[in-house]
Amino acid sequence: MNEPLSISVHELTKRFGDFTAVDRVSFEVRRGEIFGYLGANGAGKSTTIRMLCGLLSPSSGAARVADTDIFQKPEEVKRHIGYMSQKFSLYMDLRVEENLEFFGGAFGMWGKKLKKRAEYLLDRVELLDHAQMLTGRMPGGWRQRLALACAMLHEPEILFLDEPTSGVDPRSRRNFWRLIRELADEGTTVFVTTHYMDEAEYCDRVGLMVAGRLPALDTPSELKKTWVPGRMFMVRGIDSTRALSLKRRDEILAVESFGTGYHVQTSDEVSSPGDMGKMLQMDKREQVEIEEVEASLEDVFLRVIASFHKDNTSQEDS
Amino acid sequence: MRAFFRRVAAMAIKETTHISRDKQVIYMALGMPVVLLLLFGYAISFDLDLLPMGLLDRDNTPESRSLIQAMTASDAFEITKHLDDPNQLHEYFKNGELKTGLIIEPGYSKSLKRNETATAQLVLDGTDGTTAGIALGYAAGVAQAQNLRNMEKLGLMAELPIQARVRALYNPSMDSSKFIVPGLIAMILAIMATLLTAITVAREWELGSMEQLFSTPVGRLEILLGKLIPYIVIGIVQVLLVITIGSILFDIPVKGPLYLLFGTSFLFLACTMGQGLFISVLTKAQMVSTQAAMISTLVPTILLSGFMFPIENMPWPLQALSYIVPARYFIDSLRGILLKGNGFSVLWPDILALGIISLVILAASTARFKRRLD
Repeated sequence: MNEPLSISVHELTKRFGDFTAVDRVSFEVRRGEIFGYLGANGAGKSTTIRMLCGLLSPSSGAARVADTDIFQKPEEVKRHIGYMSQKFSLYMDLRVEENLEFFGGAFGMWGKKLKKRAEYLLDRVELLDHAQMLTGRMPGGWRQRLALACAMLHEPEILFLDEPTSGVDPRSRRNFWRLIRELADEGTTVFVTTHYMDEAEYCDRVGLMVAGRLPALDTPSELKKTWVPGRMFMVRGIDSTRALSLKRRDEILAVESFGTGYHVQTSDEVSSPGDMGKMLQMDKREQVEIEEVEASLEDVFLRVIASFHKDNTSQEDS
Repeated sequence: MRAFFRRVAAMAIKETTHISRDKQVIYMALGMPVVLLLLFGYAISFDLDLLPMGLLDRDNTPESRSLIQAMTASDAFEITKHLDDPNQLHEYFKNGELKTGLIIEPGYSKSLKRNETATAQLVLDGTDGTTAGIALGYAAGVAQAQNLRNMEKLGLMAELPIQARVRALYNPSMDSSKFIVPGLIAMILAIMATLLTAITVAREWELGSMEQLFSTPVGRLEILLGKLIPYIVIGIVQVLLVITIGSILFDIPVKGPLYLLFGTSFLFLACTMGQGLFISVLTKAQMVSTQAAMISTLVPTILLSGFMFPIENMPWPLQALSYIVPARYFIDSLRGILLKGNGFSVLWPDILALGIISLVILAASTARFKRRLD
């Protein structure tokens, strides 16, 4: 991690009247890193991104994006970044290449250089054969890729993507993320927000945002180690009384309903599905499935939210 | 500076593409002016055209018939009813069959021959003040001409001591369409220009593309200018269209230089389109801005521009207000260019005023146009 810093944020805060949308958030992102920003709707993800893109003026704190102070030179920031807003906002009545030409022109690009760059990007996002298509006629996944191409025209150092894959089918999402990984490997810094937990796994580091705060920030595997220590078993086929009864045992750290069954988190002493089965004192006739699973970021997210709310309540009590 | 022009050009090309894809805008831009011109051009007229007149001729002599003939010689009045009693007029005025009545008392010719005052009574339906006023003026003119002729016959006096020779320059037949059409052109251009541009900025807000635009280095003035350029071109096409139709259907001449016609039109379009942009920037919503655009152009253009009502007759606060209505200057210069053949030396105050208003409104729009989302 010797790459230079692309983004550094210190105690960044945004207030709208009495409401604090982003509350003293601090983090750093290095060049070529994919930084994921995870959180529920309204947690402050978009507000953070808009401040970093020079679209919203921050209330307090400090932040530099591509070596530019966002408080002092928000317009300068725009030259170095590409931004894809949450709401799809290309022009539906323009053709694919017309959208690219317009946004290229908006960045002051012109003529051959713009044409070459647009062609290159269309090839990259696999839309070269559809350059003449009306944007409004394309499926969501294609539009998203076109929007990415538009944001990449001026070869930005940093890409800000605000929920780029919302409303896009799973296969397109996977393709999209492959593209993002390629861009990052080529040295583009990517700051991406999402509320899909599985997508966060693609990120080098993930920040979890809850109610304007940033209580957890690390690589996905470190986050799991810190927030969900021990082992994790997926148990299907037990009822809720059985599941809750497990909680009384010392080796069991947590039981949470997850999909069609329960995620049971244990200390390292419980080392196999067999150990887990013994604890459940199963009847032979019972159809219980037990498998060891890796903790997901969703588990992490649930823990973070739970501990955040506990902290906040205890603060209010004291 | 080059980057500035590139960005403006990019905006203008994009906006032109939007327009070319939107059939509604094209129909509205080219169809509406024609429809409005026909509608208003034929509907609004201050000329008397065969005003129905009731007649009661109790004298029934060559002299009285000569008066009647003089009255109906032009197509101003038409005798549609012969009355038996003056009171019948009430009935006909009430049901609208008649607008005027001419009553000649017995003894009209005798009085004339004896060189005494002869009376003929003209009765008018006063509820329609404009028509009554015009009819009155016309009838008075006829009566005076008739007097002169009679005096001449009697060899009393060839001429009146003071005789006003009335001649309407630039519009010799006092054709009201010559007076109205220039005002109409201004009104049509103002409505269309404000409407078209009022939608455009608001639409970008509603679609969310404004946020994307703001993330690029495109400046506010560049956005506004880029949007303005294609609409000004449309506006100039509208001017051509309306002037052509005006000259074919309403005999409107173009006596002045064409460069002045297009120059003042350009400045007027810049004012009204700037007004549309200003509304759009303020409201950020298409519905609201459309309505605001209609009201804010129609009312001042009709009432405060001298289009229908002379500015000199207004109370001073309204007169003062009229100075910021761009249509006031445009209508004045249009009448000058089209009818009088005025040149720059006469029209420069109008041109200056239009230039100032357009700059002020564009500056105000840019200032109110927040490039940030908060």
